[in-house]
Formats: sequence, structure tokens, C-alpha cells
Amino acid sequence: MKKIFVIVFSVFVLSGFHAGAQCNAEILSTQCIPKLGSGFNFLKTYKVEKGGKEYVEYSYVFTKGTQYMINICAPSQNADGIIVTLEDAERNKVASSKVNDQYISAIAYPCNKTGIYYIRYTFDETSSYCGGSALGFKR
Amino acid sequence: MRILISGLFLVLFMACSPGNKSEEQAFVDDLDSAPIEDQAVSGEVNEILHRIPSPLEISVLLKESGKKYNVAFLNSPDNLSRYNTNYKRALNLGIYGTDLGYTNIYEQSQDGIKYMSTIKDLANELNIGQFFEMETIARLVSNSNNLDSLLLITTQNFNTINQYLQTQNRSHLSVLFLTGGWLEALHITCEVAKINPDNLQLQETIGGQKIILENIMHLLSFYKENDENMAGLLADMEGLKQTYDKVIITSIYKPSTFEVIDGVMVIKDNSSSTIEITQADIENIRTMTQNIRTKITS
Repeated sequence: MKKIFVIVFSVFVLSGFHAGAQCNAEILSTQCIPKLGSGFNFLKTYKVEKGGKEYVEYSYVFTKGTQYMINICAPSQNADGIIVTLEDAERNKVASSKVNDQYISAIAYPCNKTGIYYIRYTFDETSSYCGGSALGFKR
Repeated sequence: MRILISGLFLVLFMACSPGNKSEEQAFVDDLDSAPIEDQAVSGEVNEILHRIPSPLEISVLLKESGKKYNVAFLNSPDNLSRYNTNYKRALNLGIYGTDLGYTNIYEQSQDGIKYMSTIKDLANELNIGQFFEMETIARLVSNSNNLDSLLLITTQNFNTINQYLQTQNRSHLSVLFLTGGWLEALHITCEVAKINPDNLQLQETIGGQKIILENIMHLLSFYKENDENMAGLLADMEGLKQTYDKVIITSIYKPSTFEVIDGVMVIKDNSSSTIEITQADIENIRTMTQNIRTKITS
């Protein structure tokens, strides 16, 4: 009987510790929402955490005439080596947030071409491999 | 020992059950629309679900281009009692969600409260009512200064519901919910375009929905073998697609440029797209959309 209690207790305690040490991309992405620029309406949050792949990718249909903003929030300051790259449906590069070895934490994109766009997050000299991101729009 | 282990399993199981109804009731309710979902399909479904634009974008477009609010475009909350299957509940939850966004954008708080209440009832029937905190939402709806907070909370709610349904292997409800929301936004846009036949922006918006329609049809196709309702809906969408086949979207890519202003990278998009759509195409799309919507809302 004692063993059962010890095992169950250990599982709960260890799972708690494990969760605490993990990336909390959910919270980071929520923190990103109020950081969208003035006038932008919130659309989505994205969790940015390194899994099986070297990058995290989402897609969204952008509409011509609409301006979109994508920002990045990391546990430490600024983007912490997280790069967001925007590509169009044919995988042509539209934007990358790394410029002159600097990591920009927000991209504003006034869309002039309706279509599917890929939003890819990669990790470059990051300390945590963990972050969150928010997408907003305005007309 | 067995009792202890059984007890622990029961506690764990109950702790993982967030619904208002019992799991058993939810299971019974889901029987009328429960396609099999494997992991590979689920991954692709989730990816496509993420990319479909929010109907709120269209409501903002209509408001900011000076188009008047018209409650007659929307599905009446009085129709709620007609929706007795999860298939119809999920589709109409999407429709009412778009209607709520439309009332919110136009700051029509009285209508907004009615839609919120209707959505809460439908969500309860689908066992996802726990995601709507009615007191908070009603307080935000009552004051137009809270518009940003209201939009944020309702958008977050719907995003959370979609995520929850995906984790519960009930993505088919997310697909229906999204399809209903998109169809309602298209319906409203077509009705506004009918009143404003010379508005090029509206024509382009309607034409641009061709891309979304293709994605929605792809989503529905995953379920056509196992769910006759979704197969029927896909067949209706195929009819709409035939009309959309006459719409031609041409895109030209040119590398973008940028400048960094106050820490924000502001892109200058040098690419362009043109959408060829005629008045006859718009009228056909409007009629087809209305027919499909009538089937769903009646």
C-alpha cells in the first residue's frame, strides 16, 4: 500500500517539476497580444518551442489591402535569437526578422497579394528555444 | 488494492473532464457526427484550420469602408431551437460567431448580448460551454469603451475552443464551426455587394474567398467517407466551387523591401495580385451561398 502512495506521489511531484522546467510558450504567446501595435486587432497566438524539427511553422491566408503584424516574445529580452520568416504560397521570401545580426521582435506587413503565407520560426543563438508570437491585423 | 487503483483512475479521469455534461452524455450527443480521426489526418486538419482567416477581418472591412450595420443580414437568434443535431449546432455556432463579431465591430451591444446568449446555449449543447464566461462578456458588451477587450476575449474563446476540440479528437466540429463562420462572412459580404454593385474592394474580397473555399473543401474531404452530413456539405461546396472556377486570381512576386521604424520591421510589399470577377460571377456566388446557408440555418 505504501509503495502505491509513494509511486503516485512521486508521479505527481515529478510531473510538476518537469512541467515547471519546460518552455511555457502558451504564456509567452499570450504576453505578446498586448504588444501588437496600436490599432491592430488580435487574430491568433502561436507557440514557438523547439520540437522534433529545427523550426516551427504555421500558415495563414493574408488578404490584399490588410496590414498584418507578427511579433515575438521570448523569456529574456527581445526576440532571444528567434527569427520569424514570412514566405508566400510559392515559398518566395517576403520578410525575415534578422537584419545585420539583429533580431527584430515585430514585423508589420501591408499585404498586396492575397494568398497563403507561411510563418516560420527558427532558432539562432537562442538561450531557451522557447517563445510565443501573436498575429494581428488592421485595415 | 484494486479499489485503490480503481479509485485513482476514477479521480484522474474525472479531473480530466472539463465539460458541464457527463462524458457519457457528450458521447451520445456526438453519435450523430463522429467521424474517425487518425493522427496524420488530425495534423493536416489542424494545419489548415489555423490558416483560415478570421471572419472578423471582413466585418472590419465592411465597417471601415462605411457600410451600414444591417441586422437583417444575420441569422436570427430565434432560430436556435431548430438546431437539434451536433452537425447543425456546430455549423450554426460558426454562423452565430461571425454574427457576434459583426455586431461587436459595429458596437451594437443589444444585438451582441442576444448573440452571445445564443452562442452560449449552442456551446453548452456541444459540451464546450465552459469556455464562455457570460458575466465578463456581458459586462464588456454593455460598454463600447471595452470593444478591444470584448474582441480579444471572444477571439481567444473561439481559438481556445478549436484547440480544445482538436485535443479531444473532435476536430470535425471545428471544421464545421469554421465552415459556418466563413459561409456567414461570405453571405454578409455578398449582400452588402448587392447593395453596392460598384464597390471594387467588395468584389475583390468575394473573389479572394476562392482560396479559402479550396482549403475548406480540402478539410471537408477528410470526413466525406465517414459522415454523410459532411459529404453533403462538401457536395454543396463543390457547386459553389464551380461558380468560383470562373474567378481568376493572378499573382506576381517581386522581392519586398523594408525599413525598421521604432523597433518594428515595416515591409514594403512589391508583389501584387489581381482578381478577375464579373457581376454575373458575384450574383451566382451570392445565390449559391444563400442556398447553402438556408439549408444550414433552416
